[in-house]
Amino acid sequence: MLWRIAWRNLWRHRGRTLVMTSAVALTYALMLVSMGIGDDSHRRMLDEAARAAGGEVIVHAQGYWDTRASDLVIRNADHVMQQVAAVPGVRAVMPRILVTGLLSTSSGTEAVLLQGVDSAAEAPLHDPAEDLVAGTFLSGPETDPIVLGAGLVEQLDLELGDRLVLTTSDPNGDVTRALFHLSGIIRTGSRQADEALAYTSIPALRGAVGMQGMLTQVGVLGEPGQGPGALADSIDTAVAGGQPLEVLPWQKAVPEMVGFTQLDDAFGYVYMIVIFLVVLFSITNTFLMAVLERVRELGLLSALGLRGRRVARLLLAETTLMTVLAMTAGFSLGLAAHFAAAHWGIPLSAWGLKEVEISGIDMADLVIHSEIRPVKWAVGSALVAFATVASSLYPAWRASRLAPAEAMRFFE
Amino acid sequence: MPRDHGPTVVGQPQIVVRGVTRIFHQGPVEVHALRGVDLDIAVGEFCGLAGPSGSGKTTLLNIIGGLDRPTAGWVDVAGHRVTDLDRGDAAEFRLDHVGFIFQAYNLVPVLSAFENAEFTLLLRGVPAGERRAIVEPLLARVGLVDEADRKPHELSGGQQQRVAVVRALATSPDIVLADEPTANLDSATSEGLLDMMAELNRDLGTTFLFSSHDPVVIDRVQRLIRLRDGLVADDGAGVAVGPAAAP
Repeated sequence: MLWRIAWRNLWRHRGRTLVMTSAVALTYALMLVSMGIGDDSHRRMLDEAARAAGGEVIVHAQGYWDTRASDLVIRNADHVMQQVAAVPGVRAVMPRILVTGLLSTSSGTEAVLLQGVDSAAEAPLHDPAEDLVAGTFLSGPETDPIVLGAGLVEQLDLELGDRLVLTTSDPNGDVTRALFHLSGIIRTGSRQADEALAYTSIPALRGAVGMQGMLTQVGVLGEPGQGPGALADSIDTAVAGGQPLEVLPWQKAVPEMVGFTQLDDAFGYVYMIVIFLVVLFSITNTFLMAVLERVRELGLLSALGLRGRRVARLLLAETTLMTVLAMTAGFSLGLAAHFAAAHWGIPLSAWGLKEVEISGIDMADLVIHSEIRPVKWAVGSALVAFATVASSLYPAWRASRLAPAEAMRFFE
Repeated sequence: MPRDHGPTVVGQPQIVVRGVTRIFHQGPVEVHALRGVDLDIAVGEFCGLAGPSGSGKTTLLNIIGGLDRPTAGWVDVAGHRVTDLDRGDAAEFRLDHVGFIFQAYNLVPVLSAFENAEFTLLLRGVPAGERRAIVEPLLARVGLVDEADRKPHELSGGQQQRVAVVRALATSPDIVLADEPTANLDSATSEGLLDMMAELNRDLGTTFLFSSHDPVVIDRVQRLIRLRDGLVADDGAGVAVGPAAAP
């Protein structure tokens, strides 16, 4: 009977109930959409960061990541590769030689980050050949191939087959020069990357800078569900005893990006809390008004023998029913928005995010979708339900304390 | 569940009021609504409280019904010291022993006439079938079978009061307290309502206590207690002021 009365009471003021229900529903939907888009954007940013770092875990000579010094190299590279590959939970191992230098042609000179890669080994992380717009990606017959970003090609006024000279320093600190032939052009979509990226094969770069048997970095991908932190610890243990190496989960390698996502999460939570507090206070206010409007009626119920706690339960039942309605509507709305965002995507550049780079990742390149993290949605929904019902606790308590004689005397 | 009272013994005290004082505080002003009322009402009496506005009629009814507590004094109803009950126990007491009929706004607006009539039974956990078996004959008796599904706003004032009477009697309470039950009714409707209550008093032996200054009520009660300035000015105990039964 209490539920029946509660349900009917809810519709005595249809307009007010619809406004309150809509407020909770829209806020709840907004929260779900924010979580979905936020989680997807953060995952994409972090994936991008992991990709840029070269793996979920990266291994270098001790001190390389901070200094990027050319003499800090992994010397017994094959042995280290074998040790890393043997660690349980390792899915892929990606060797890289990283060299900064100057690329010169008859048209000019540009700074470049030249990466010696094994394109087959890189595929599980990201196949750079996917970005190829001309030529081949290190698969041609050339012994000294180089693949450049489209921006770099324009700046150096190059065509496929043109010759370039790389000037850099070898691990001994000596300046060295090497000749390459342009074999491919890539366009990543990131202007900054396209103006600085260059790839060659590991044998070609080893020959150019005298790094036989050496690598700058070993990137690692773990099996799904394998946390980078735990994987890094396992690898650190596996390679201990030889040359001092640093083993970094990518979060440590790109702390700015991690910090950005955490900050963004925190702002998101604060924003949602503020919105919810506003909504909850208005619900509390509305229910208090409802109690005041119905003092005589609640007094009548009490006079007829309804105990105070049952009077309170009646008010809570009304809020609970309203919450169920609001959350059903909000969930449907949030889910629809989620599927729309997941299907069509939202380019960050459309939000005016241009020229923003975090940890070397160009944010304007990202297209955000939406993803559901069931546990997070469930916890968020439970909190919304609890908070909404809790917002009527005070009005319900007030109602339970009404003295029937007073209520019926003064509010006739 | 309605209780079986057994045979009604008129004369046995059902309500005992002793030294009841009630002082209300309105800011710095003390209002003495009752100034030491003593009263005995027997089982099965059809009894009226009369007096001008502010004489303490409603306050006394509220205290007898456990809706309010006296500043001093005590009240026993059906052997229960009502004035010692806490808020929750007082609610329980009202549910088990008292039927209320108020002047207006007597029904729960979102419930139908039938649902209002069965409300107190439902609060007592009486099963649906049993509720129907109790309420339907009572509704038939007050001529509201066809209005059972109507909401209060679809009923006239007299019909609403009749539903309230059914609700008050559905649990077979020891006493029915009616506060100005005819105040918002025309005289013909008032007469009809009083006929019905007198009939129920006679048939069921339920004790009725009215507060009213309506001559229609005053003429119909068996015993009239007049209050003035919070005191019993005149108690017609044992004197039949008017016919209790329907004329």
